[in-house]
Amino acid sequence: MDTSLASTKTRIATLRKCKFLQGLKDSVLSDLAAKAEILSIDGGTKIITRGEDGSNMYFIISGSARVHHGEVVLANIGTGDVFGEMAVLDSEKRSASVTAENSTLLLVIERDMFYESLSTDPNAFKAVIHGVLQRGRGIIREVKTRSTKLMAYEKEMEIGRQIQAGFLPKSLPVLENWELAASFVAAREVAGDFYDVFKLNNLPLLGIVIGDVCDKGVGAALFMTLFRSLIRASSLYGNVYSGLVDAEPGDASITADEVLQNSLLTTNRYIATTHAGSSMFASVFFGLLDTESGELHYVNAGHESPIIFRQNGETELLDITGGVIGLFPAAQYAVKTVTLNNGDLIFAYTDGVNEAKNLQGDQFGESRIMEATDPRDISPDNFLSIILDAIYEFRGAAEQSDDITMLALKYRLQTSTA
Amino acid sequence: MTTLNFMVGQEQGNVPVTVLRVEGDIDAATHKSLHDKAAEVIEAGSTHILLDLGGVNYMGSAGFRAIHAISNMLNDGDTPGTMKSAHLKLLNPTDAVARVIKTLGFDVYLDIYQDRGEAINSF
Repeated sequence: MDTSLASTKTRIATLRKCKFLQGLKDSVLSDLAAKAEILSIDGGTKIITRGEDGSNMYFIISGSARVHHGEVVLANIGTGDVFGEMAVLDSEKRSASVTAENSTLLLVIERDMFYESLSTDPNAFKAVIHGVLQRGRGIIREVKTRSTKLMAYEKEMEIGRQIQAGFLPKSLPVLENWELAASFVAAREVAGDFYDVFKLNNLPLLGIVIGDVCDKGVGAALFMTLFRSLIRASSLYGNVYSGLVDAEPGDASITADEVLQNSLLTTNRYIATTHAGSSMFASVFFGLLDTESGELHYVNAGHESPIIFRQNGETELLDITGGVIGLFPAAQYAVKTVTLNNGDLIFAYTDGVNEAKNLQGDQFGESRIMEATDPRDISPDNFLSIILDAIYEFRGAAEQSDDITMLALKYRLQTSTA
Repeated sequence: MTTLNFMVGQEQGNVPVTVLRVEGDIDAATHKSLHDKAAEVIEAGSTHILLDLGGVNYMGSAGFRAIHAISNMLNDGDTPGTMKSAHLKLLNPTDAVARVIKTLGFDVYLDIYQDRGEAINSF
């Protein structure tokens, strides 16, 4: 045999390190060592490929390799480790790929030769079965430990989700002449949608906010709580202190436009400077509704255009009046005003609605919102149910990939019964 | 496509302008390489970057975050009297990317040009 790359002693020592061969007698190990081939490979070489047939098992004499599924690394292995033995023992396909990390020296044993060597000792099979089962028990223990950790982690995520849900309004204000409905359907993965509805102190104004923080995951959820809190706090309490608008404490002359400007400027400037390094942003529609006159003052900062369904059957889009918030400290936001009349319904939503995808990858789109129903004879609550059903029907078996958040508000003047 | 390709050109307008052409989809998997490439040219001395998006068919929010980070690296911050970056501009976005830019209102923050020469001379 060629011993130029690894001496007999090195070969036997390598085999002996392998746990499932530990019960074998020296004579069997020597026989295996003699039959083995030595393979020297460069770093980056793929040694086995998941899903393929294979009849060789490999023992690492020196060097290192990674066990992986595509880009996902399952384990890093090195000197003394064995791989490829499962497919040799059960004749199934390779369960993972293995790629050398650097120059690696391998001892290779082929299936038929392996069994041939074992058959030289009546106790060898017993020893190998014992060794394989020991390995199996070790893997089960490891999986148990990991799944316990994973369950604890999932519980933490669930608690986080509940805290996040607590940042959404628990109930909606009850208003004379206005009907209001909101719906939030969370995606499986944590995302950053939010909405808020609140009355302003001392002013006949109703604040309506809907927003979407960029990206997904815990980062988006954390920033969602920040954006949402800053917008509400600056609207309710911030006008006097910010200096961004000119108002005295208790000043009843402050206008809806000033409240909007102040809130957006404060929130944007705070996040764009304090959290400049995170580059986190949100698209936000913020409206202040004068519940007496029906005037809606609004800022649309890079958000999907809310839709007004007029009583006469026409529709209007409230397009953006500025860019997303949280990035550029000098950003300015224009305020626009539109008047809602008796019977009009306004619908605001996040991209979980218009970008809902079916299995073909098509998007639900704005047009399907427009065509879902005639909103004139139904309540906002009904309207949201119909839109949600339409999304579910369109999506079919495809998974919900983003939060679905919707708000609807309808002007319905009480007819006097006097 | 899971990687981005870059081409860097140095042009002389009123000031030296680095034209950074990106090819590929800018998403959660690739945005870091754009960020790193920009950091590299800024490290090498670039003070004005024209980001050529002609080869980008998709840009998600991660891409917009990377663009903001680049603008910050160019030390834009709060330019008095204007919201728009004086150091970072965009060139020739594809229709799909232009639509997202418009929805998010990024055109409020960054100048967008269709013509390379005009863009270079605008710095």
